[in-house]
Amino acid sequence: MNIPANTIQAVKADTKIHSELKTEFLKRYFRVVHGLFAVLLLIQFLPDKLTTETYVSYVIWFAVGVEIFTLILSGFIKKTASLNLFTDIVGFIYGLLIAWTLATAKFNLLKAALFPPPGKVFWQFISDYDKILVNIQSSVGIILQGYLLALAVAIPLGLFLGWSARLGSAATYISKFLGAIPPIVYIPYGIALLPTFRSVSVFVIFLATFWPVLAGTMSGVMNVEKKTIDSAKVLNVGKFTMMFSVILPASLQQIFIGCNQGLTVSFVLLTSAEMIGAQSGLGYYIKNYSDFGDYTRTIVGLIVVGIVIVIISFIFNSIQKYLLRWKQ
Amino acid sequence: MSKIEINHLTVDYTEKKKSFTALKDVSFSIEEGEFVSVIGSSGCGKSTLLSILEGINTPTDGEILINGEKIKGTGTDRGVVFQHYSLFPWMTARKNVAFGIKQVNHSASRSERYKIADEFLDKVGLEQFKNKYPSQLSGGMQQRVAIARALAMDTDILLMDEPFGAIDAKNRTILQELLLELWENATPRKTVVFVTHDIDESILLSDKIVMMTANPGRVYRELKVPFERPRNRAELVQTKEYNKFRNHLLSLFYSDIADKIGGEEVVL
Repeated sequence: MNIPANTIQAVKADTKIHSELKTEFLKRYFRVVHGLFAVLLLIQFLPDKLTTETYVSYVIWFAVGVEIFTLILSGFIKKTASLNLFTDIVGFIYGLLIAWTLATAKFNLLKAALFPPPGKVFWQFISDYDKILVNIQSSVGIILQGYLLALAVAIPLGLFLGWSARLGSAATYISKFLGAIPPIVYIPYGIALLPTFRSVSVFVIFLATFWPVLAGTMSGVMNVEKKTIDSAKVLNVGKFTMMFSVILPASLQQIFIGCNQGLTVSFVLLTSAEMIGAQSGLGYYIKNYSDFGDYTRTIVGLIVVGIVIVIISFIFNSIQKYLLRWKQ
Repeated sequence: MSKIEINHLTVDYTEKKKSFTALKDVSFSIEEGEFVSVIGSSGCGKSTLLSILEGINTPTDGEILINGEKIKGTGTDRGVVFQHYSLFPWMTARKNVAFGIKQVNHSASRSERYKIADEFLDKVGLEQFKNKYPSQLSGGMQQRVAIARALAMDTDILLMDEPFGAIDAKNRTILQELLLELWENATPRKTVVFVTHDIDESILLSDKIVMMTANPGRVYRELKVPFERPRNRAELVQTKEYNKFRNHLLSLFYSDIADKIGGEEVVL
């Protein structure tokens, strides 16, 4: 029997495409992370050594949920680098859960009072759900208020001080001096001067953000290239346009460095800020329950703070990326 | 009355307690609609001269009159193209041009400004690149945008400081011809002051060449360029007259250097 040459070629090409698709599929879905998922799932069926309730089903449901989410998202992420990043993070979560499950529920290696099994933490999280939501709202509110207020004051002030050469050099030293003082030191003064404890918390975040953003803006303005300013001058721009359409975007990268620093310090200070007589917030939640020795809830609080920080940082980075999209 | 009169301009700089004279008693005038090139070796003060015309620098002595009035700082009657970095990197090509238009025409709406910007970007052949940022454009394209902006601002006077100095030879030729065409076809023609160190460029483009000499910066010669317009490079460079004129310029250019070195041994 004679098979025409082009048919053979077509079949060959077809198998080639087929095998390419297959490797592509394997690359996408056969990853270490899914192996870790299997391990995590299997160890749940080992007998518990811990005598108290371990809420195994909560870990299983959580793991299955994350796995489904991972599989679906794996189909949508196009760039290999992004897919790697994503599966690495999920892999880290699985790894942590494996170690945590084994060390607590399965082998009982750690003090149960301080280290609750993961299932119990998930269970606690779900039963405390509405309380946590309220606390997130309160904390994020304080951070946003203090942070945005600081940006609204520090950026224009930094533009003005950086632009006026004489005030600028004095302001550099003054801001260095004041910025070096940890904002918690101001708390008693805040309590004495401000009407509510909440406003003291906002004030602390404000101060934590204000100095790095001011310093960043000023150094940004002072480092704008003379060529850029000359280009604007010969276009005969007004003072306002010069400030906000030229100097501001030209120093944006440095401003963002200050904003990033401010954000980091704000998170660190959130807990301290909320310890001052606050009745809500994630810092309060953690502090309150650790004072009462409820470490399950303390860990719940720590995890939630971490998640909130990651989400805010992600949003912040997206904004930064968008505003600096012209830079390459 | 000339469009631009430069009267006894002197500029002294002080740097690290040493002062030197960048320009000394420079005087010449430029007529309305005239294309004038200022050429000279580096350090002859041609860029300093232009920066005073732009209004960025102030002279130590002397003055510049535009339409009979002494200039004080920058003005909306002058458009500028620098060698580097005329564009704002955070604005797209279109926004850069529109931003320039806004500074001279406050009453135009945003869509009107964009319309004018698009029109001029078309003229310089960048219709497909108007939404690109400068970092996404080549050096030649960036200078096209800068030229489009200067033209779109529709100022009486154009000041160009070695605008093609950093562009490769092939693109420089293309841009020179583009500028020549845009300038020759406009009515009324704009008054242009064009700083360069490229003799061929100055002959092709200008009506008058002002040759400067260094240490201190002074006007060495003023020469009318004796060629009819519209000019065509390919035809022009083949003529005897062109080569004669070019050699004349070159000999002036180097005799200046020979004078400076002061030796008989410099023979051309």
